[in-house]
Amino acid sequence: MNEIFASPYFGVFLSILTYEIGVWIQKRTRSAAANPLLISVVLCILTLVLGRIPLDSYKNGGDIISAFLGPATAVLAISIFSRLDLLKKYFFPIFLGTVVGSLVSVASVYFLCKAFGLDDVLTKSMLPKSVTTPFAMAISENIGGLPAVTVAAVVLTGILGNVLAPLLIRLFRVKNPIAAGVAIGTSSHAVGTSKAIEIGETEGAMSGIAIAMSGIVTVVISIFL
Amino acid sequence: MKMMFQIGILFLVCLAGHAVSSLLPFPVPGTVIAMIFLFLLLLFKLVKADHMKPLSDFLLKNMAFFFVPAGVNILANLDLVKDKVFALIAVVVLTTVLTFGATALTVQGVIKLQDRLFGSKKKDGEKV
Repeated sequence: MNEIFASPYFGVFLSILTYEIGVWIQKRTRSAAANPLLISVVLCILTLVLGRIPLDSYKNGGDIISAFLGPATAVLAISIFSRLDLLKKYFFPIFLGTVVGSLVSVASVYFLCKAFGLDDVLTKSMLPKSVTTPFAMAISENIGGLPAVTVAAVVLTGILGNVLAPLLIRLFRVKNPIAAGVAIGTSSHAVGTSKAIEIGETEGAMSGIAIAMSGIVTVVISIFL
Repeated sequence: MKMMFQIGILFLVCLAGHAVSSLLPFPVPGTVIAMIFLFLLLLFKLVKADHMKPLSDFLLKNMAFFFVPAGVNILANLDLVKDKVFALIAVVVLTTVLTFGATALTVQGVIKLQDRLFGSKKKDGEKV
């Protein structure tokens, strides 16, 4: 039986099946909380844990899906290019937003970790959690965090941003699609951006720009930590 | 343009991004460099956005799906943070909300200020 689960088809099929269940639930409930990504991740984890299927078996297929992450992120360049006029006109507000957002992210992680009594290593692992995984892992390593914890925090942040984005836009009364997009990308990197694309073309493009900008800004901030 | 050709171009751009990333002395992910490369190719009209459209539409529409394995992989690191899990989740939730708010309000505020100071009409005429 374990040989079947170790086949790459298993991981790919389980991911597609659970994601489509998530899409179906979202269509049925029309609620932001019924998020296909979140539902898929939870159902996959439940399947693995309850079925006693090793994570490594799932990863044989999962790695094939993950291989598309790079190209899917790079292709954001096409959305950004289609909004080149906005980027040129509002470069300063967009850039300033990612700087302020990245500073708030790092500072709030630091103070909240202290408030919750988390130790130094965990705090350092959490600091770069708002930027996309490769940026975050490199920063975590440089400042003495545990990259494995960082990856978990980054992914959790992304999924959370993906789920909360429509809600946060209403909560903070964000009327401007540029502001909404930059905020999604700065607070929840590429995973949040996948939601920004669904919200609108401008939101998606601006969120894509924010992935790169906030990542670079956070690297610069980390030099002073 | 044929799908296979689009995939070829995109994967080549990603490969170039990773190659450059491994040569840089500071951490910038290959994916981000690939994004910048593709942007430059579009800017200098070496690649046309329309030619890549079927592939880019497919990838962007299904982007959230590609993150499923990364999410499932949290399972591998769960025991590292087992006893701190609630504190960590609280930190993630609060800081994500704060970061979103600070960014959105900054961008929105500065755009309003910029439009008021320089007038949005005049600038529109510059680049059509």
